[in-house]
Amino acid sequence: MEPTTRHSLVLRLRNPDDEAAWAEFVGIYEPLVYGLARRKGLQDADARDLCQEVFRAVAGAIERWDPDPAKGKFRAWLFRIARNLLVNFFADQRRHTRGTGSTSVQDLLEARPADDAQAEADFAAEFKRQAFRWSAHQVKHEFADSTWQAFWKTGVDNHPVGQVARELGLSAGAVYIARSRVLARLRQRVQQLGEDSGIFIGDEDHDVASGSL
Amino acid sequence: MTLHPGACDPRRLDQFLHQPVAEEIPQELEAHLSVCPACRDKLDEMAGGARWWTEVRQNLGSDGASELAQTLYPADSFYRDAVNLDFLQPSENFASLGRLGNYEVLDILGRGGMGIVLKAFDPALHRPVAIKVLAAEYAANGAARKRFAREAQAAAAVVHDHVVPVHAVDANACRPYLVMAFIPGRTLQQRIDHSGPLELREILRIGMQTASGLAQAHGSGLVHRDIKPANIMLENGVERVKITDFGLARAVDDASVTQNGVLTGTPQYMAPEQARGEPVDQRADLFSLGSTLYAMCTGRSPFRADSSISVLKQVCEAEPIAIRSINPDIPAWLAGIIAKLHAKDPARRFQSAGEVADLLEQCLAHVQQPDQHPLPAVARELGRQIEEATPAPFGQRWRLIAAGIGFLGLATLIWAISPVWNNHSFDTNVESALTPEPLPDPALDEDRISQELRQMQSRLTMVQQSLSTTGLEECGDAPLNQVRDRAELLERSMYSGSTPSADPVDAQLQNIRRRLGQLQQDFGGLE
Repeated sequence: MEPTTRHSLVLRLRNPDDEAAWAEFVGIYEPLVYGLARRKGLQDADARDLCQEVFRAVAGAIERWDPDPAKGKFRAWLFRIARNLLVNFFADQRRHTRGTGSTSVQDLLEARPADDAQAEADFAAEFKRQAFRWSAHQVKHEFADSTWQAFWKTGVDNHPVGQVARELGLSAGAVYIARSRVLARLRQRVQQLGEDSGIFIGDEDHDVASGSL
Repeated sequence: MTLHPGACDPRRLDQFLHQPVAEEIPQELEAHLSVCPACRDKLDEMAGGARWWTEVRQNLGSDGASELAQTLYPADSFYRDAVNLDFLQPSENFASLGRLGNYEVLDILGRGGMGIVLKAFDPALHRPVAIKVLAAEYAANGAARKRFAREAQAAAAVVHDHVVPVHAVDANACRPYLVMAFIPGRTLQQRIDHSGPLELREILRIGMQTASGLAQAHGSGLVHRDIKPANIMLENGVERVKITDFGLARAVDDASVTQNGVLTGTPQYMAPEQARGEPVDQRADLFSLGSTLYAMCTGRSPFRADSSISVLKQVCEAEPIAIRSINPDIPAWLAGIIAKLHAKDPARRFQSAGEVADLLEQCLAHVQQPDQHPLPAVARELGRQIEEATPAPFGQRWRLIAAGIGFLGLATLIWAISPVWNNHSFDTNVESALTPEPLPDPALDEDRISQELRQMQSRLTMVQQSLSTTGLEECGDAPLNQVRDRAELLERSMYSGSTPSADPVDAQLQNIRRRLGQLQQDFGGLE
């Protein structure tokens, strides 16, 4: 998509925290929208168009955002309206013929949150995946490379701790410390993202929470 | 408060887990955790426990694709690398990117010269599979499709521990594809990129397993034609070798020359006879195995240059840099075995992959238990030849340094005794004094050759396109078949036109020009 659409909003944001929030939002939502759209049968070009439309709609809606701290943070607001928009979009897709968006993205943004369990679940699963990837990308830079490798090899690639310790030239204790610290940090980031967007992650009691604007 | 290796202190663990990242990890805690499973479990539970590890695996990992996932961000690169998957059918299954035949496509594992590799799920047999999909530009070429089908079916017949099993082939789909077992793990290339040269035992083990997989395929009359570290999978955990892409190189090489007029893929591991476009047999794979062993020993491929044509030239004419000057830990006998595999003349290589597998196996036994297993006589002899052929590395280095000093001395002397050069004409004069004969510019020559080849290739493509549009291709029309066969032959000799080693370049170009002219004449006659 055009970088200009993605970044134009930043010009209107005066608060550096808000700029960071927007960058994070785009980083997570862009692959998310694209991935969801492709899985729903949209062609490559249409999926890219949809990404652009979503960001345009959200950027347009920003006028309605009230910077009163009592009404919540910009970050949470951003994630909630985008989530609402997408759940509505895919609920709409399910009701109508595949591939033809009968309603404009702007209409969907204005609409009340759809009551569609399947669309909610689809969105939640994709959001979770992207929240993990985004957080991993961020957290990675906070740790030394060997710490990250110890986490990735034991946690994601599922290699035994002893073997990884030998490969990295660390003690087993150091590998246990490294993987736990990265996991704790990653979990913190992912949970924060989940809370902001009304998707609870890693907590069995709340699979999908129904967030509203 | 200090934590002794023997003492457990859960409160301290919690504090430590949430302390700022930059803070030092106390050594006694590390030592304690190395020996205390209870505290490890406690720490793990506090960090997130089994549930979060499951989340991490599900959301960050996708088996062989985990490295891809690691590089998926930032979003800019996500777009740049987005692969066009428009040939997939939409799927009802949420986790699926789309359907291909009966398979649910889950992820993109990679992209190669011939197309893309997808991870998919086979619902009928309930197992993960890897699917290679032929790139659109080849799928549009009738001859390439047929070769793809033929080679893939031959590959499907090879069953061996060290060859990736082929489950199915669909050559009639709009994008022909090949379904293989999904091997979780990484390629030998990834391993070399990640950790550089391998240990001796690993080199021997991987070499032996590759050779034994090759022996089986050669036994069925198949030649791989593209043995290289990127086509050798190392299965997760045990790192067992699985050779992939049998025979496919041929289907694609022929097509790529026709389609683009240029050589695609990397020729770095190719045998000289293959680079020249001559007929190849199983011994070409042994040359490539030699190059693969070389890469494991040194961390880099043996023949390197900045253009494909220069690489091919090197493959045909040059000797690679001595392995032991790059990695002195490699024994002379292994360098000797690789040198024999690297013989330019196939007749001077080992003659079968089985022979190489046996030899490497005996060498591995020797390395593991030198007392019980003497080094095989063949390896000893090859090692002796290497030692005799190479002067001591130190002597070599000194000679270079001496030459360098001599050169500098000469230049200074010339400068000192010629005051006239201290004015404006200094540079040009020194240059002409030191290089009396202008050297021919090899790049210029290459440009001319490749330009001419491109022109001829586009003519050939035109002939072939007309051939397929006549619609007679399937009718068994004899003269037409002959023309097509000749076109195929010509395609291959164009390949060799870019590697002017045996014949002088011009003679070879002239030869191709003549044959192309004849072909066009034949074809014109048919019209």
